[in-house]
Amino acid sequence: MIIKTEGQTLSVSEIPELTAVNSGAFREEVTAALRDSPALIEINLSKTRFMDSSGLGALFSVYRTVGAANGAKLRLLNPTTEIRQLLELTQMQQLFEIVHR
Amino acid sequence: MFAPNLASARAAAGVVRAFFAEHGGLEPELFACELCVAEACSNAVVYAKGAAREEPGCVDFVCDAHALELRVTDHTAGFDWPDPFPTLPGDSDRGRGLFIIHSLMDDVQYLRGAKENVLVMRKKRSGLPLARAVESLEPIEPSLADTQRQLAECTHAISAMARELCFRTETLSAVFRCCAELGRAGASAGFEERLLADMLHLTSADWYVLRLVSPDERELRVAAVSTSELATAPLTLADLGEMPASLEAHVAASRTSVRFDARESLASEPLRAVGANANGVIYPLYSSDALVGTIAVGRRQGDFAFDALHEAVGRTFADFLAIQTAGLRHREQDLQTKLIAHELDIARVIQRSLLPVALPQLSGFGLAGGWHSARDVGGDFYDAIALGEHSLLLVVADVMGKGVPAALFAMNLRGLLRGMSALFEDPAQLLGRLNRLLHEELSAVGMFITAQVAVVDLRKRTVTAAGAGHGPLLYVAEDGKRVLPLATQGMPLGVLPDVDYRSLTVSLGRSGTLLMHTDGLTDMRNAAGEEFGQERLVSWLGANHGRGRSATELRGRLASALNRFRGDTAMTDDQAFLLLAEERVEDVREPAMRLPSSRRKHDTLVPADAGDA
Repeated sequence: MIIKTEGQTLSVSEIPELTAVNSGAFREEVTAALRDSPALIEINLSKTRFMDSSGLGALFSVYRTVGAANGAKLRLLNPTTEIRQLLELTQMQQLFEIVHR
Repeated sequence: MFAPNLASARAAAGVVRAFFAEHGGLEPELFACELCVAEACSNAVVYAKGAAREEPGCVDFVCDAHALELRVTDHTAGFDWPDPFPTLPGDSDRGRGLFIIHSLMDDVQYLRGAKENVLVMRKKRSGLPLARAVESLEPIEPSLADTQRQLAECTHAISAMARELCFRTETLSAVFRCCAELGRAGASAGFEERLLADMLHLTSADWYVLRLVSPDERELRVAAVSTSELATAPLTLADLGEMPASLEAHVAASRTSVRFDARESLASEPLRAVGANANGVIYPLYSSDALVGTIAVGRRQGDFAFDALHEAVGRTFADFLAIQTAGLRHREQDLQTKLIAHELDIARVIQRSLLPVALPQLSGFGLAGGWHSARDVGGDFYDAIALGEHSLLLVVADVMGKGVPAALFAMNLRGLLRGMSALFEDPAQLLGRLNRLLHEELSAVGMFITAQVAVVDLRKRTVTAAGAGHGPLLYVAEDGKRVLPLATQGMPLGVLPDVDYRSLTVSLGRSGTLLMHTDGLTDMRNAAGEEFGQERLVSWLGANHGRGRSATELRGRLASALNRFRGDTAMTDDQAFLLLAEERVEDVREPAMRLPSSRRKHDTLVPADAGDA
């Protein structure tokens, strides 16, 4: 997983999967990076082949932390069809801006 | 198998994905299977407590062209699969796992056991992915080994399906057979045994114990067993918050089925007679939320474990048994209630017909009777028969018991009395004869009758009385003032085959007053629990006789005194009495015998009436 800050944008990428195994670490590392108060957070899911409910929980946790830190934009980039369907099934697509590019 | 940690659990989901990918699964299906297994395995790791944290989990999976099945075995305390499924948790980072499984699978069952639980997930496969997979396989020349393996898998899948179909069909046949039997009158007895024999056969089990909730809902009582040594004492049902003392009581309290096997000690269980190597399942039986009982079923040797199909078949039988048992109980209760009401109606009709339509009235004397029925129909009655112009036979009797039998014996006694009154002048002889005639019938049903018979000679102003286990009659002594009891002693009718009764004769005092009664008068209690008692009755008669009061007037006064004393307290026994009183000559307008023109109602101290008003 790579976490980069460029200007006001925090980018998280190279996440092969987000599951019960690594969701705790993901949550901690991303939350730590939020201390720099970015205006935009982009989580790139193009490499993410698999996600389970713990992964969804980690995304929800980031969403809540960002909301509490006063409204930075939160964007999910290029999720696979299966993960986009999983986000829709659990109604979490309403919480994020999902962008394909 | 997977080691009890999250990384192994995740890896197990990957293996499942690879297996289905090999068997023609395409991406949406592969993702769904991998995700659901990952969720189930993670839960198995996260929620294991204590020693169960060291136990490995297990994933079984099988598929054919049309369906796939995944089973994840965990060692957690388990939980109740939500039904109906709740809405999605919107504001939490947890709680989506079960929702995902529920949404992605077509059929999910969570089978809870004593030491392990199994989550069974089934999903239909669309034909398309398999067709594509077959197409993609075409260019490849399958090896003989591959073909044999595929053939073996297909054979296995078909045989599993055939087995399941066979089980389901047999279960359905057993249920239909039972329904058909229950439809026939009188076939309900033992239907559980017949149904449970089918259940044993289908589940390859060799023992069962059926317990049903007792009528007072305090105990689980054995209702049927496969062999007699399994019939043990009733189990007390645990109160709310109390720890159930046995596996069966636990199943009844939690309404969740429990599996057990030879690894668990049954030494302290009521089921221990099934042996140390036994295994099985205990199902709760309930219908419309009411607990009906439990059924435990299994095998005595642990070399054969109940699989999910056996368990599902057992569940079907348990559900059916619960519904039928509850239905039968309702029908029996309904019938019983109707029978009791009908019997009471008959008894009331008989009892009313016992009381004389009219009492004979002889010149110069008035006669009045009082009768009050308690809630249950009993066998108290009185009667009076004119023996000539100046002589009367008076009877007060109490048949011990309630309902139709008591009323029938009272009727029999009354018939005999009426038939024999002219044959015996002496009350003692009459009672002796009555006893000989009634003894056999009464003793056969453990009943008896107390009675008092008195012959009043109005010219001689004497009373000759004999009693059979009855309390004394009260009369006004020759001095015209004192009220005395005439204690006639003798065995109740029906106790011994041959009894000699003794008659006593006394003279009637100036007011000619005589009171015969059943013990319902003296035994009656008020709200404070005090008995009306003999003494109070004597005082009442002493204060009320004479003064020109007729028998009818005295009867009204006695009824008022009794009602006043009782207040709002319910009557527990019938009351019957007869009052004889001399009338002042100037009050007698019709000295000849006369009868009232119509039958009176007898429901509340309104007796047959022969005195003037």
